[in-house]
Amino acid sequence: MSNVLSNSVSGLLAFQNALAVTSNNVANASTPGYSVESPNFEAQLGVTSSTGTYGNGVEIQSVTRSYSELLAGQMRSSQSGYSSFNTYSTTAATVDNLLSDTTTGLTATLQNFTNSLQTLANNPTQTASGQAVLSSAQSLAQTVQGYASQLSQTDQNVEGQISNGVAEINTLATGIANLNIQIAAQSSSGQPPNSLLDQRDQLLNTLSQYVSVNTATQSDGSLNVFIGSGQSLVTGGTAQTLSAIPNQYNPTQLDVGLQTAGTSTTVNVTSAISGGSLGGLLAVRNQVIDPTLNTLGQLSIGIANIVNQQQAAGLTPSGTQGQPMFAVGPVQVSNSSFNTGTAQVTATISDVSALTPDDYTLTNNGGTWQLYDQTQQHAVALGGGDGSAGNPFTADGLSIVVSGAASAGDSYLIQPTNQAAAGFSVLLSSPSQVAAASAVQANASTTNTGTGTIAAATVTDPTNPALMTPTSIVFSSPTQYQINGTGPSFTYTPGAAISAATGWTTSISGTPAAGDTFTVSSNVGNAGDNSNLFAMIDGLKANSLNGGTTSLIGAANTLVAQVGAQTQQAQANAQAQQAVNTSATNAVNSTSGVNLDEEAANMVKYQQAYQACAQMIQTSGLMFTSLITAITDG
Amino acid sequence: MQSLESEISQTQQELSTGIALQSASDNPAAMAQVNQLNVQISASQQYQTNGSALNSNLTLEEQSLSDATNVMQSARDLAVEANNAALTPSQRQDISTQLQQLLTQLVSTANSTDANGNYMFAGEASTTQPFAQSGSSVAYNGSSSVSQVQISPNQRVSSSDAGSNVFMNIPAGNGTFTTAVGASNTGTATIDAGTVTNAAQWVPPDTYTITFSDPTDYTVTNSAGAAVTNGTFTSPGSIAFNGISTTVTGTPAAGDTFTVAPAGTSSAFNTLSALITTLNNPNLSSAQISTQVGTALEQIDAAVNNFGEVSASVGARINAITAANTTAQSQQTTMTASVTKLQGTDYTAATTQLSTAELALQAAQESYASIAKLSLFNYLQ
Repeated sequence: MSNVLSNSVSGLLAFQNALAVTSNNVANASTPGYSVESPNFEAQLGVTSSTGTYGNGVEIQSVTRSYSELLAGQMRSSQSGYSSFNTYSTTAATVDNLLSDTTTGLTATLQNFTNSLQTLANNPTQTASGQAVLSSAQSLAQTVQGYASQLSQTDQNVEGQISNGVAEINTLATGIANLNIQIAAQSSSGQPPNSLLDQRDQLLNTLSQYVSVNTATQSDGSLNVFIGSGQSLVTGGTAQTLSAIPNQYNPTQLDVGLQTAGTSTTVNVTSAISGGSLGGLLAVRNQVIDPTLNTLGQLSIGIANIVNQQQAAGLTPSGTQGQPMFAVGPVQVSNSSFNTGTAQVTATISDVSALTPDDYTLTNNGGTWQLYDQTQQHAVALGGGDGSAGNPFTADGLSIVVSGAASAGDSYLIQPTNQAAAGFSVLLSSPSQVAAASAVQANASTTNTGTGTIAAATVTDPTNPALMTPTSIVFSSPTQYQINGTGPSFTYTPGAAISAATGWTTSISGTPAAGDTFTVSSNVGNAGDNSNLFAMIDGLKANSLNGGTTSLIGAANTLVAQVGAQTQQAQANAQAQQAVNTSATNAVNSTSGVNLDEEAANMVKYQQAYQACAQMIQTSGLMFTSLITAITDG
Repeated sequence: MQSLESEISQTQQELSTGIALQSASDNPAAMAQVNQLNVQISASQQYQTNGSALNSNLTLEEQSLSDATNVMQSARDLAVEANNAALTPSQRQDISTQLQQLLTQLVSTANSTDANGNYMFAGEASTTQPFAQSGSSVAYNGSSSVSQVQISPNQRVSSSDAGSNVFMNIPAGNGTFTTAVGASNTGTATIDAGTVTNAAQWVPPDTYTITFSDPTDYTVTNSAGAAVTNGTFTSPGSIAFNGISTTVTGTPAAGDTFTVAPAGTSSAFNTLSALITTLNNPNLSSAQISTQVGTALEQIDAAVNNFGEVSASVGARINAITAANTTAQSQQTTMTASVTKLQGTDYTAATTQLSTAELALQAAQESYASIAKLSLFNYLQ
């Protein structure tokens, strides 16, 4: 009888506890990261007698949470993937939107500038048309500069987010390390510390939004956490410290450093970071922001080069050679913060058509210098001379001068195009500074008796001091000519280039007679000449970039399409990862989530069992009463 | 539900703006094409603007050329009138006064400006007055080259014609040589402008002198004094040598000379000035007057011819502009249609998409509401 009573009491206790577990489940039905818990009932060992073995009631062995390591891992990795692509595509979309305007964008403003040159060509002496050229040049410059400043604003946002992300990761790592200590301590008691485990999983899930995470569970219940390509972030109760460190070349750009606890060195792990918003930020900076800024710079240099060269080769209405119309930012050379030598490196652009939108590093390998294309990841042969001021290195359209003493291993970052767009501005202030007319004119003498005609003279060297000095080509016979009527005789070939080393070239065709004279002289006074404008227009239209394969408009258009494609791809990847993440989250929820129907069923079940136990106690009481009554009556 | 809501809002934006291609990431290839087409449309519109501005300038130039032609025609009428031995010197002077007015009128026509105030016939020196009259001579101060205007992607045409080509460098005489009556001739013979019979035999640039030793015998010598040919003469008789032929009419006196010189160029102004000088000179013989007026008539015709040729070239340019304009318009229509197709909203599809998304959203909301009601706890009362 006492058996019946004690069994019932154990049942009462067990079901009361089970109801407590159920009520806790119901209470936490909406708690993020809560894993549903269940009581593990176990029958107590029975007592064997001659009539058999009689059970000894029930007890709850433990309360365990419903949790799948595999599903949680899948959810975290898809979370990392999603947040990486989502961060990437959000940032890329701002650049994409910036460049996508078809009415005020780069191609439109560049074409407007060309159109304004055409309008001026219709009437080169009209001040209003000259003013329109300056206005459209201004708006072109403002567009490019605006892009550059918005891109650097975007870059600053990215740097800020990298900083915040690193701080957040450190907080999470510390939290995980602390939980590891508590979990290890509580696990030794034999009962799983469910809520601590849930908390730690929750921190891990949050961490996976910032960076990709791998874990390894230790025997004491603590968890080692690795990020990126296997860098240890948490080892048991110890968290390592991530930090945002300035890039060795450019202090405004942040790299990610990792300092292992107990050591004082910080290792640059930027290239190892992947996944999560941090991975997305580093990738979008490398793949979208910097290349876009560089390509814009290349484009600005291309525009300025053509227009400025032609300005110098032309005459303004007042008859002076034109001044440069556009300024661009200089080639940026940055010393590494690790350099120990005192060498100074300067670089200038020597050939715009050979220029690339890439960044380079110049490294001293113990006496010899090596150039490496950082963007395309390959070595570039240094041509030209020995790197001295009189005989500079040349490579990819750059002219590089090294002075001073470098130590082995010293390196320099050369960014030919990075700053160009930010410095793209208009230098002219008055419409009378636009050089519409060619600097020189070519004429046949009116007394010529032959049929020879002279083509327009083209300026090849605007800096030649004798450029505008009148030079005559005098034919001593129909097949021989002399420059200025003296010096050596040249054989005349119709249509062949003729120059007099004074910075221009022309050609004569037809049949000149002996005594015929052609003159190339200053074009001052011919204010209606627009041939220099057409040379400018043709130059802007020509394939002048990337080794003469790409036009300016083409390069601008490719840039828009490329950023669009990158954004599109990142958006598609983000969507795909989101779908994976949703299904992984659903899988985790179906395992670990609280199902209220199930809890209701359990509640009814436990309640009924509890009532049954109580009934058993009553039955036991009745049994006892009947026995006592029988004895009393007896 | 969130993704449906964002889809609905994007579709609504497409419908309200009419532009489906909001950013390059929507369709990078289409965006690149749209940009390229927009550039071409904008350039094409610019060429049309260039063409129409040039068209009005060229029309003005045609008008000026026609004015100049009229002046020369009037001068021709006066020259014909003056070429009459019965006129007295003072009558010829009256004619020369009228010619003087025509000369002034011609200079003013040649100095006309276009709508922008630029001198039409100054070539590239469009701000310099091209023709300056000083006494009887008119000098050209303009440029011999002209600027170009782009009227289509691959077509640039001259925006004007240099005054030097229109008014100044008009081939003199018959275009190959000119003839003149010796200043001290005493006979009545005149010489015509002559013709080229065999261009290959004409040896320029030399001046030949036909000298009459008596009224019936002549010798032709070159500038070095060497005899080229000689012969006997009966009026009217042709004198031919070195592939050319001229006709002398009348009775030359012994010692009379005629010259045959290579044709240079003469200006329309000089033609009129020379004629004025001739008619103002009371000391000329009627033979001299007749030959000089004949030369003037020849040169007036050459000038009118030249104006006609320039005018024809202006007309050809106007035609080219019209043709380029037509092509540009049809290309623009095609390109604009392509842009609309590439970036425009497909209204049927967008409307269908909008209603489908709305329906789906409604279904999702309703099912959420009904699922939310389902709980076992509802039945445990």
